[in-house]
Amino acid sequence: MSEAAVMQPDTQFIQRVMASGGGDLKKCYQCATCSVACELSPEESPFPRRQMIRAQWGLKPQLMSDPALWLCHNCGICTTRCPRGARPGDVLGALRREAIRQFAFPQFMGSLVASPKALPLLFALPTLIFLAIAHWAPKGQVTPHLEFANVFPIPILEALFFTVSGFVLLAFAVGLVRCIRTMRTGGATGKIMQGLLPALRQIMTHQRFWMCDARNWSLGHLLTLWGFAGLAVVGTVAGIGTMAGFLHTPLPLTNGLKLFANASAVVILCGGLILLATRMQDPVKRVGSTYFDWFFLAVLVGVVLTGIMAELTRLEQAAAVMYPVYFVHLVLIFSLFLYAPYSKFAHLAYRTVAMAAAGPWTPKPQVAERARESSAAGAVTTTH
Amino acid sequence: MSVPSALPTFRNGKPVLVIGGGIAGLTTALEAAEVGCQVILAEKSPALGGRVARMHQYFPKLCPPTCGLEINLRRLRENPRITVLTLAEAEEIRGVPGNYEVTLRLSPRFVSETCTLCGDCAQACAAEKPDEFNYGLSKTKAAYLPSGNAYPARYVIDRAACPEGCKACQEACAYGSIDLSQKVERKTIQVAAVVAATGWAPYDATKIDYLGFGKYPNVVTNVILERLAALDGPTAGRILRPSDGKEPQTVAFVQCAGSRDDNHLPYCSAVCCAASIKQATYIRKLYTQAQITIFYIDVRTLGRLEDFYASVAADPKIAFVKGKVGAVEQDPGNHDLLVTAEDILSGKKKTQRFDLVVLATGIVPQTDGLPAGFALDEFKFLSVPEGRAGLYSAGCVHRPEEVSAAVQDATGAALKALQCVSRSSQHG
Repeated sequence: MSEAAVMQPDTQFIQRVMASGGGDLKKCYQCATCSVACELSPEESPFPRRQMIRAQWGLKPQLMSDPALWLCHNCGICTTRCPRGARPGDVLGALRREAIRQFAFPQFMGSLVASPKALPLLFALPTLIFLAIAHWAPKGQVTPHLEFANVFPIPILEALFFTVSGFVLLAFAVGLVRCIRTMRTGGATGKIMQGLLPALRQIMTHQRFWMCDARNWSLGHLLTLWGFAGLAVVGTVAGIGTMAGFLHTPLPLTNGLKLFANASAVVILCGGLILLATRMQDPVKRVGSTYFDWFFLAVLVGVVLTGIMAELTRLEQAAAVMYPVYFVHLVLIFSLFLYAPYSKFAHLAYRTVAMAAAGPWTPKPQVAERARESSAAGAVTTTH
Repeated sequence: MSVPSALPTFRNGKPVLVIGGGIAGLTTALEAAEVGCQVILAEKSPALGGRVARMHQYFPKLCPPTCGLEINLRRLRENPRITVLTLAEAEEIRGVPGNYEVTLRLSPRFVSETCTLCGDCAQACAAEKPDEFNYGLSKTKAAYLPSGNAYPARYVIDRAACPEGCKACQEACAYGSIDLSQKVERKTIQVAAVVAATGWAPYDATKIDYLGFGKYPNVVTNVILERLAALDGPTAGRILRPSDGKEPQTVAFVQCAGSRDDNHLPYCSAVCCAASIKQATYIRKLYTQAQITIFYIDVRTLGRLEDFYASVAADPKIAFVKGKVGAVEQDPGNHDLLVTAEDILSGKKKTQRFDLVVLATGIVPQTDGLPAGFALDEFKFLSVPEGRAGLYSAGCVHRPEEVSAAVQDATGAALKALQCVSRSSQHG
């Protein structure tokens, strides 16, 4: 006989998962309806049935190292079908939160961002920074039209955001190393470097997400992702361009980069509003929403809304409104950036590597094709 | 300790009304009548026997229900204290324990006691309707005998299935037994107690859309399989798959098809595991090469049924897979079925091909049309009344249970009803 395995239930882990959205975890009676209902659950290592019992048992290491946490796209079909109301989709969401916390660098930031009590603190930091800039920063030269730079000088913002970006990149790098190491100990054998390109392609096309049962969910997410990608490109180009001196903001509306930026903003706004509406309206509560979900979604949509409003009020030269709106925009964008490795934002990084680490993926074939592949029930010869 | 000086004489008391003539209602009526009580047995359908009459075999003995029903029907025929009313429903119950007034609605049968079962009426009848006894697998004429063993052994005319104004059966009957002018009647009776034994219906499996019942012809339910296995069923006991009449060589049983599911029936229906294990033996007996897979969450065969489970599980051609079926799809080419489940013990998800899929659908208590006064529990079963009540229940309308338990339950309900009769005859 093989050696006895010692189970080490982490009861605090169970408590945390149950407190952060997985409250119905213990109702699961392991029927595995969820594993079949899920279109993304692979045959060789189906989820989320196994993850449910591991969570019930508090097997934290086995769960944190499991790429399946990230293969789930949270459409909620498992929760809808669950005969016991155990809400596997929400439990996987809670487990992802736990993973983000566990991989967080520095660790205390993970706990801070996950805690609703710390919310005032999270916003107090950027609020004070930007109030200080508005108050003490040397004012730029007077311009023919009102510009945000009159109050928030560009060099200072550049320095601030490059520092934050550098820190965030470092935090993500450490988080990803932790994530990959953990997955390796859990036996994920996929070659990450090889899997990265296919994973990125699947992410950009939402090939997996479209297999899910909730089309509005995947459409909203796709638009958000594309809009965000567009704005990330614009932000990087504008940031570097301004610093290098070949770009001078504000760009005219007819400028190509500006057109691209505005188009991206509209796309992400549409996506974000779809996601927001889906979460708010969700009539059968197929997808549970927690503080963690709301924090990320609200900051993201807030950034886009205040960005668009700031641009419009600037074009109107409404001095009384444009600076306060821009101030809020800065606070939100700072929060989105700085807290990215610890908020739900981090799923962007972890899901990508998990998809790569989980190995090659092919969409589930249509019925007719599976009919050709499927074997008869028994291995014994039958008398057809 | 005081002992009653004399045994109560139920003869002087009011009768007991039993609603429902299945195995539980029959048993209640017989047990009460055999100690001397007057009993009125009201059955909604045209014949007694209920669900049990449609079974092929009982578990775990694998014997047919007909012999037990025959014994009970003989007891019934020999007992003058039981009044059997078929096509009868209780509409209203007024009064208090020991003194109820019940309105019965008696639908016309259109066929009198002089019916000789010659079948000329059915011959003459042109209208067809689904045969309810066979769960719609076959058809009967609108003038029909409910089943081969029907009690009362008399034809019945389903006027709802007749063409407007048709009198062919009445004209064909040589004995003048048919009177199509009969109307619905109402009758008021005085009773001391009422026992509802209105039984159960199989859960409507079309509501579990991912299991394909109603969409794919070769997905059947467990009650349908009983009729396919029954010698008096539509296939004369040969289990054939509906799409092409082929003898199935691979059969999947889907346990908890609706039961233990908050989206359908939140409770365990108690009998489906043993029923599927029993039905696996039907198929193995008919087709010696057949491969059977039973997909389950937990095999719930309690008490002595555990041995039955063990003996069937020892059959190498019967596989038990722990994991609920989450999808049944159809091969568009040949109507074979693709069944997907996660085998929890191996942790792999598999799609397998089967000739026939049997859904182990659960028990839904039949309380529709029951007059007000009975209390329902959280799952819509009749709950057990507290204290000196007069409205009791027996059988599957009261809790999901197997036949032998329903019979014991019925005996208990008869005793409660007798106590009520006894109290009322002593005090009033």
